[in-house]
Amino acid sequence: MAKTQKVRVRQGLGERAMGRIFLAPSFAFMAVIALFPVFYAIGRSLYDIRGFHQEFTGLDNYLRVLSDSGFFNAVWNTLVFTVASVSLEFVIGMVFALIMHQAFVGRGVTRAVILIPWVIPTAVAAQVWRYMFDRNPGFVNSVLGTDINWLRDPTWSMVGVISADVWKTAPFVALLLLAGLQTIPRDYYEAAKVDGAGALQRFWTITLPLLRPAIVVALLFRTVDALRMFDFAYIFTGYSNSLATLSVYAQRYLIRDPDLGYANALSTVTFVIVMIVGLAFISRLGRHMVGDVAGKEK
Amino acid sequence: MAAETVRPSGAVHKPRRRMHPAVGNALKLLGLAVVLLWCLFPFLWMAMTSLRSGSAAITEPNIFQGPFDFSNYREVFDQGFQFALRNSLIVASVTTLICIPVASLAGYALARLPLAGKFVILAATLVATLFPPVALVNPLYQMYLQLHDWTGISLLNSYAGMIIPYVALTLPLAIFILATFFAGIPKEVEESAKVDGATPFQAFLRVVAPLAAPGVGAAAILTFVYATNEFLLAFSFAPNDLNVQTVPVFVGTFQRVGYENPIGQVMAASVLVSVPLILFALILQRRIVAGLTSGAVKG
Repeated sequence: MAKTQKVRVRQGLGERAMGRIFLAPSFAFMAVIALFPVFYAIGRSLYDIRGFHQEFTGLDNYLRVLSDSGFFNAVWNTLVFTVASVSLEFVIGMVFALIMHQAFVGRGVTRAVILIPWVIPTAVAAQVWRYMFDRNPGFVNSVLGTDINWLRDPTWSMVGVISADVWKTAPFVALLLLAGLQTIPRDYYEAAKVDGAGALQRFWTITLPLLRPAIVVALLFRTVDALRMFDFAYIFTGYSNSLATLSVYAQRYLIRDPDLGYANALSTVTFVIVMIVGLAFISRLGRHMVGDVAGKEK
Repeated sequence: MAAETVRPSGAVHKPRRRMHPAVGNALKLLGLAVVLLWCLFPFLWMAMTSLRSGSAAITEPNIFQGPFDFSNYREVFDQGFQFALRNSLIVASVTTLICIPVASLAGYALARLPLAGKFVILAATLVATLFPPVALVNPLYQMYLQLHDWTGISLLNSYAGMIIPYVALTLPLAIFILATFFAGIPKEVEESAKVDGATPFQAFLRVVAPLAAPGVGAAAILTFVYATNEFLLAFSFAPNDLNVQTVPVFVGTFQRVGYENPIGQVMAASVLVSVPLILFALILQRRIVAGLTSGAVKG
């Protein structure tokens, strides 16, 4: 009796069955709460919905997207913001990572402090920067000796929002790159030095190529995050066209100017744009990242 | 060093070369100082501004000019900021408590158990981390309204209305981080547990889970930070009811109450939420760095 029971316990759940059971809750949840709404949005985007009135209009909402200057303005804003902030973050993050990598004292402290901008909610960072740029009391203007209306002027407000984002996320990029730098063996540099390679040459021929995986991951996360940015733009200038990104523009038709069919068309288009860019990155590094996990299994 | 510098002029070249490391070190320290200043100066501005009161606070850019007092903090609490703090804590904690156990199971299955199409599932998980929240805002809002019509349950202006999408949005990254950590645990540990008579589930619970604790901690912290940070969904689903409004919404929409320049109060609220989060980051920094960089630097 005791023996049969023991055998049954040891059988327990088969590994294959267990694998499926373990995956089920996560994927069921994501399917219902994330994937289904995407299809729901596509369905709703085929209707003209105003209050209680709704009417099937086919692809009209998408035709409207294509002739909506507000939408193209949002695409342009998103593009400018993404290209400018990601490239600045990358350059500054790289400089910070190299500084921290070289440091002999204080690296631990700096690596802790560098997390602080990352952990602060974006909405809080946005308010701090918004008020630093604000004309009253005019902190940024007094530091720069300028008299710019940072929150009203379309060009300067974009500069402001990019500075705020670069401040918040360059340290995050530095952290990712620093982790990558620490995996490069010191001997490589010593050998190159013996061969007479200068600092710049060592950077181009050793650091950059070996850092490539970390760079691609950092760029992936930052680019996708920048493309879907909402907090900074909304808090700096509300729904005003000067900063409206794709996320701000799509959200605007939900509550401020309710037009739910159109809102869903904009959501869908934004979803497609972000996913295409993300997939372009992932197809380049996915095998590397995924293989890492899948490969160890053997 | 001193002996070098007093040498006769014939040895000019040598002292300069000997100086080099010192100059280099000074530059390195200066570099670190720049990084520290970059990360911290807005907090100095925030803290000083939160303490200033009176008309000078909104007309004079010099943050060291008083008068200073705690009136902004009092006003922020009068407006119910403590409720926003409570709401954020509840929403972030519940999100983490739901997300992490569920993601641990999936992460373990992906790292260790025999599954058909594992590569595809992992790739899909990675792609899911890119999901733009704005694609969820509009349809979920309508689904919530629809649900209310059918069942009378209102998810707008409720904790659940935020927690449900937060779990969905944090699951992919949590699964990915956990799978990376589980894959890093030597398989032998588990095998020997099985040899000793443990079932696969017991092996997971008794042997693998404790070893994966650092990874679980890292994933939990990142999930918690995501949920305290999230603005778009919270702002769309629970914009102004103080019973459920979270900190980012409270702080982020502060200027829109038709109030005279509320700079001091906004900064007071910012300080109150920043202090605990900064302590959180400093105490848990090792776990955070491990979580953020997992998968990013392998190979």
